[in-house]
Amino acid sequence: MGCTVPYLGHGVGLRTKHFPHVLAGTARVDWFEAISENFMIRGGRPLAVLERARAAAPVVLHGVSLSLGSTDPLNDRYLRDLRALVHHFEPAWVSDHLCWGSVDGHYAHDLLPLPYTEEALAHVVDRVRAVQDRLGRQILIENVSSYLTYKHSVMPEWEFLVEVAKRADCGILLDVNNVYVSATNHGFDAEQYLAAMPADRVRQIHLAGHTDKGTHLLDSHEGHVRRPVWELYRAAVRRLGPVSTLIEWDEGVPEFDVLRTEAERARAVEAEVLGERRARSA
Amino acid sequence: MLGLRDLQTSFFRSIAVAPGRSGVERFEAALVEVVEGRGALGPAARIDVYAQMYWARILDVLREDFGRVAAILGPERFDAVAGDYLARYPSTHPSLRYVGGRFPEFLAGEAEREGMPFLADLARFEWARLEVFDAPDAEPLRLDELREIPPAEWPDLTFRPIPAFLLVESAWPVQEIWATAGEGGLPEPPCPAHTLLRVWRDGFAVYHTAIDATERVALERVMAGEPFAAVCAAVEANAARGEAAGEAAALLLRWVEDGILARGSRR
Repeated sequence: MGCTVPYLGHGVGLRTKHFPHVLAGTARVDWFEAISENFMIRGGRPLAVLERARAAAPVVLHGVSLSLGSTDPLNDRYLRDLRALVHHFEPAWVSDHLCWGSVDGHYAHDLLPLPYTEEALAHVVDRVRAVQDRLGRQILIENVSSYLTYKHSVMPEWEFLVEVAKRADCGILLDVNNVYVSATNHGFDAEQYLAAMPADRVRQIHLAGHTDKGTHLLDSHEGHVRRPVWELYRAAVRRLGPVSTLIEWDEGVPEFDVLRTEAERARAVEAEVLGERRARSA
Repeated sequence: MLGLRDLQTSFFRSIAVAPGRSGVERFEAALVEVVEGRGALGPAARIDVYAQMYWARILDVLREDFGRVAAILGPERFDAVAGDYLARYPSTHPSLRYVGGRFPEFLAGEAEREGMPFLADLARFEWARLEVFDAPDAEPLRLDELREIPPAEWPDLTFRPIPAFLLVESAWPVQEIWATAGEGGLPEPPCPAHTLLRVWRDGFAVYHTAIDATERVALERVMAGEPFAAVCAAVEANAARGEAAGEAAALLLRWVEDGILARGSRR
C-alpha cells in the first residue's frame, strides 16, 4: 500500500532560538518540523510560535517520547495530547522513532536501541498499529543512531525497519546521518541499508551533523552536515527520488540564515541528482 | 537471551538507577552479556555512552530550569544534588518539561545539608515562573472595559485571575536572591524575611512583584470568586480607617494594568 503524504521540499526544525524570526514572519522556509512534546503545553509563547509557523508554511510533528518499542503500555495521556495537537495544527504527517525510551513508568529521554528479534518485531508492529488507530492516520517511523547492538538480534536494522513499516503499514523517516553514524559504529555498509529502503514508504529524510568522539560517532545534531552524509544523501535521492528533507541542528544552534542555507544545499543536491537521473533516462 | 521486558528493565537500571555517574562496573551483568563488543568499544563502554547521555541530558534541563539554584551551588555541587534527585525521582513524564517538578520538595531536605536553607524556596519560585510561562492563554481585562461598569454593579462584581498567575510565599526574599544570584553565587548570604510575591505572564514575558498582606488577602478573595464588596471588606480589615475603598480601587487598577485579571471574568 505504501504511504501517501505530500512532498514538502526542504525544511528545518523549529527551534527556540528562531522563535523571534517565526513571530516576525522572517523565518521563510519550505516547511517546519516541530518536536511534538515541546508543544504539549497549555499556552504561552511556544504555542503562539507554532501557530505562526503553521500559518506561514506546512508543519510536521516529530515525537521523541512515544517509546514505540517499550514494553510499558502505550501512554494514554501522551496519545491524547498528541491527538489534540494533530487536530489543532493539522500537520502534514506525524513521526517518531524506532526505539524505546521508557520502562516501568520511567522515561530515559533518549532513543534507546531495540534488539532486532521476532519478539521485538511483533511488539513494535502491534504498537505502531495501535498508535495509527488512535491517531486515525499513518505515522512515519525513524531509524535512530545507536552505540550498541545485541548478540541475540536475528536480522539487520534495515530489515527490521522495513518489516515494521510493511506489517504495520506505516511510512519511514530515513535519517541519513543516523544510518552513517550507526554504520560507522557497528561496521555495516550504509549503502546496503539504503538499498533495502522501499521507495513507496520513505516519505521524509533527516540530515544533521555528528561528532567524532574518537572511539565512535555521536549523533550530536551539531554543526554542518558532514561530507560523507551528503554523499549518502545523494545515494538516497538517486535511489528514492525526491523526498521531503529536513535539517536538524540542536547543539550550538546557528542563526536562521545558516540553517536555511543548509536546507538550500540539500535542495541543490537533490536537484543535481534528479537532473543526472533524468539525463540518464533520456 | 533476555526477553524484551527484562532487557529494558536491566538497561534502564544500568544507566539510571545505579549509584555514581562514572565508572562502568555498575552495569548489570545480564545486560553486558548480551551487548556486542566489536571494534574500539567493549560492551560496558557502549552502555556507558547511553549512561553518560542520560545524566547529561536531564541535568542540562534541571540546570536550565533552576538556573539561580545552579548559579548559587556552582556546577559541581549542583550536579551532585541534581544527580541525587534524579536517582530518587526518575522522570515519569514523556516531556522533559516536567522532570524538575519535585526538585523544590527534594531540595527542602537537602538545603540544610548544603547550609543554604533558602534554596528550596528559591527553587519553588523558579518553578512557579516556569509554570506561568506555559500556562493557558487568556485575554486580560482592559481598563476601558472596567470603566464601562455602572457604579451600582460594583459591589456584586467578581473577577478571576488569568491562568498564568500564581502567588508565592516564602520565609526568604527569594525575588532578591533570584535577582542577585550570578555565576559567582550570591554577593552576600541572605537574611530571612517573610515574602509574598505574585507571579504572572503578560504576553510572553513572565513578571513577579512583591506584595503586602493587604494585597494578598484581596487577591485571595478574588481567587475564591468572592464579590468586589468582599474584596473591599478584606482590604478594610488591613487598611487605615476610611481608606479601604480607595485602596481596593487602586489595587484593582494595578491588577488591570499588569494584566492579571481575565477578560470576561466579571459577572
